[in-house]
Amino acid sequence: MNIGILSAFIFFLIFFYSSVNSLLFENVNNTGFLPTIFTFVYFLLIIGFTTYMFVALRHLFLLGRSSRQNIYFNTMIVFFLLASVSARFITSDELSFISATFIVVSTMLMVINSLRISWIAFLTKKEKITLLFLSVVITVLFIVNANNTGNESLMLLSFSKPFNVFISLILIYGAIYFSVLFFTTLFHIPTAEVFDRKAQEVSSLQYFSKLITQVLDFDELTETVTDITTKVSDADASWIIWKENDEFIPIANKNIGFVDSDLINKFILQKINWNDLSETKFLMLTEFDELVKVSNLYKALTVSPLKAHGKVKGLLVAIRKDEDRFNEEDKKAIATFSDYASVAIENSGLLEESIEKERLEKELDVAREIQKKILPEKNPFYDELEISSVFIPAFEVGGDFYDFFEISKTKLGFVIADVSGKGISAAFIMAEVKGIFESLSKTIESPKEILINANDILKHTLDTKTFVSAVYGLIDIEKGQMKISRAGHCPVILLRNDIAKSVKPSGIGLGISKDDHFKEHLDEVTIDLEENDAIVLYTDGITEAKNESLEDFGEKYFTEVLLENRNNNVDEISRKVIQEVTMFSHNHSQYDDITLVLLKWKPRQSKEGGRDRQKIKKDGDKEWQNSAHQL
Amino acid sequence: MAEFSTSIVNKGDVSIINLSGYLDAHTAPTLENNFTELIDQNKFKVVVNFNDLAYISSAGLGVFMAYIENIRNNNGDIKLTNMNDKVFNIFDLLGFPLLYEIFKTEEEAVKKFSESSGVGSK
Repeated sequence: MNIGILSAFIFFLIFFYSSVNSLLFENVNNTGFLPTIFTFVYFLLIIGFTTYMFVALRHLFLLGRSSRQNIYFNTMIVFFLLASVSARFITSDELSFISATFIVVSTMLMVINSLRISWIAFLTKKEKITLLFLSVVITVLFIVNANNTGNESLMLLSFSKPFNVFISLILIYGAIYFSVLFFTTLFHIPTAEVFDRKAQEVSSLQYFSKLITQVLDFDELTETVTDITTKVSDADASWIIWKENDEFIPIANKNIGFVDSDLINKFILQKINWNDLSETKFLMLTEFDELVKVSNLYKALTVSPLKAHGKVKGLLVAIRKDEDRFNEEDKKAIATFSDYASVAIENSGLLEESIEKERLEKELDVAREIQKKILPEKNPFYDELEISSVFIPAFEVGGDFYDFFEISKTKLGFVIADVSGKGISAAFIMAEVKGIFESLSKTIESPKEILINANDILKHTLDTKTFVSAVYGLIDIEKGQMKISRAGHCPVILLRNDIAKSVKPSGIGLGISKDDHFKEHLDEVTIDLEENDAIVLYTDGITEAKNESLEDFGEKYFTEVLLENRNNNVDEISRKVIQEVTMFSHNHSQYDDITLVLLKWKPRQSKEGGRDRQKIKKDGDKEWQNSAHQL
Repeated sequence: MAEFSTSIVNKGDVSIINLSGYLDAHTAPTLENNFTELIDQNKFKVVVNFNDLAYISSAGLGVFMAYIENIRNNNGDIKLTNMNDKVFNIFDLLGFPLLYEIFKTEEEAVKKFSESSGVGSK
């Protein structure tokens, strides 16, 4: 409800009425004697206008209060009527005190009612000035009319005495009301500006504290910040200087173009040390030599730090065109406000971070889920082989993968691979790699051929930065032979008697070379297996496991552990290895997946029969999967 | 993980990128930017000095793969020098020495460029 406009409108009508009133009086006076019709119309007009004026006054009286409180006003009307009526019926001088009393009581009520004008406090300065001007004019008009003792009032008197009294009372009421209004407004003017700002601050802060909890979007938030800044500080424009990738850019510009604000940014950053700014500062643009390039003639500005986690993240700028600098009040307002803005921006950042974190965690959950489904559920079953496999995923899925292919009762294919990169993308590539090896193993036996075919497929599908290291092997149980090819993967360790032999045929990682180099440099080795030979397949998650001084577990120590335990069954060996790795890196987080696959050649045990499968229990907080052994 | 930084030195028409610290998935973009800049400036003779590099992950290796094709197509090459044993071992396992020229010293690599008059050897 715009009280100002409404009241101005009403005042204008009253003003208009009063002018007409005066004009008509003139006319009537000049004509002297004329048909009574004219007078009659004139009186009707007066009655009409008076009624309207009275309604308007009543409306003004009721401004800013509930209708229940209008008992004073109603009482006043009663006394107005009593005064009027008594003026009609009490003609004798002795009794005139009765009507005089009514008039006095009415006047007192008028004064009381006129004092109820608290609503002007809520008008803006501009509205108050308008009101001041209007109230002067109207008060004068009312006083002139009320004091009118010329022929006109005599005519009125002759027309109807009570009516005359009634009109006079209304005019007096109007005069009192507006003169009170005038003086009150006059006294309000000096404080109007401060009051305005305080009111603005209160509403802005309310608005903003709401925003702090509501705004999720950073852009939306900063727009609101600059918008409110212009309101709070009565500035012409506002923006935020934001630091992004070591560059300072203006964001959330309010009432100012990007180019202008970018120019002024340079000036501000010359004058202010970004990291040291701890409170709102004034700057005069008269010192800015490039001001001519700016399309508006700005004069003064304030800069306030927007901090998050104790660091300056941005600067809030408010700028003015007119001569007057920002005063202390403005400074306070902006400073308070920038504190609020900092909190909000910090909140928004935290929220974004936690959303991002949650998203990443969800993504990793998916990646782990994919990995879990891709890896074999259980180890294959061959009389002549002990097989054990351990896989411990890193928090960020590392891209390790292994699989077995039971080609026939006498042939077992196996693969171990490591996809470069981590997370969901590595998991998807793993799924692809699994598919490739699974289908290739059905048609091709030679590990070398399989890797060549896998490389041909992967070099087209992998992006230029990604590669896969792998070892593919095939064990022919009838021949007691193993063939192995290696594409950039960790060597295969063969434990025979007391020696650990690193089997490392030449080979480039899958997807690295786009031309024939892969084929040219790929070798395949054939190993004739001996009783109790152990074949160790692993990924660099083991050898590159780190301790708190960032030392590697290392290939050397790994082989030592293997040799120490070589006479145990495969599950024992792998348990021991994992135990050692875990102990070695217990003060350092596991950065990469750990995979260890062990195969032990036991051609004689097949006759003994009796096998047992058991799961190895969880070790610490790290997960053991797919561990099974055969006796 | 730990810090990673690069610096570029020009020796004639050969650009030398010095690496130090840990090159992994998080720090790889720095090196990627270096390569992009060099390619933008039509500098295709690149020597990467690993002298101060402590660790390289598979994502770090990927950086070299990403740019080698473009650089060789422009008669340039990426030559690698001054690797410590650990870093070399990682390159070696993956067969990088079969695809990239790896030298003991920076001088050898720069010299190789002038001998082959800018034609990539592989």
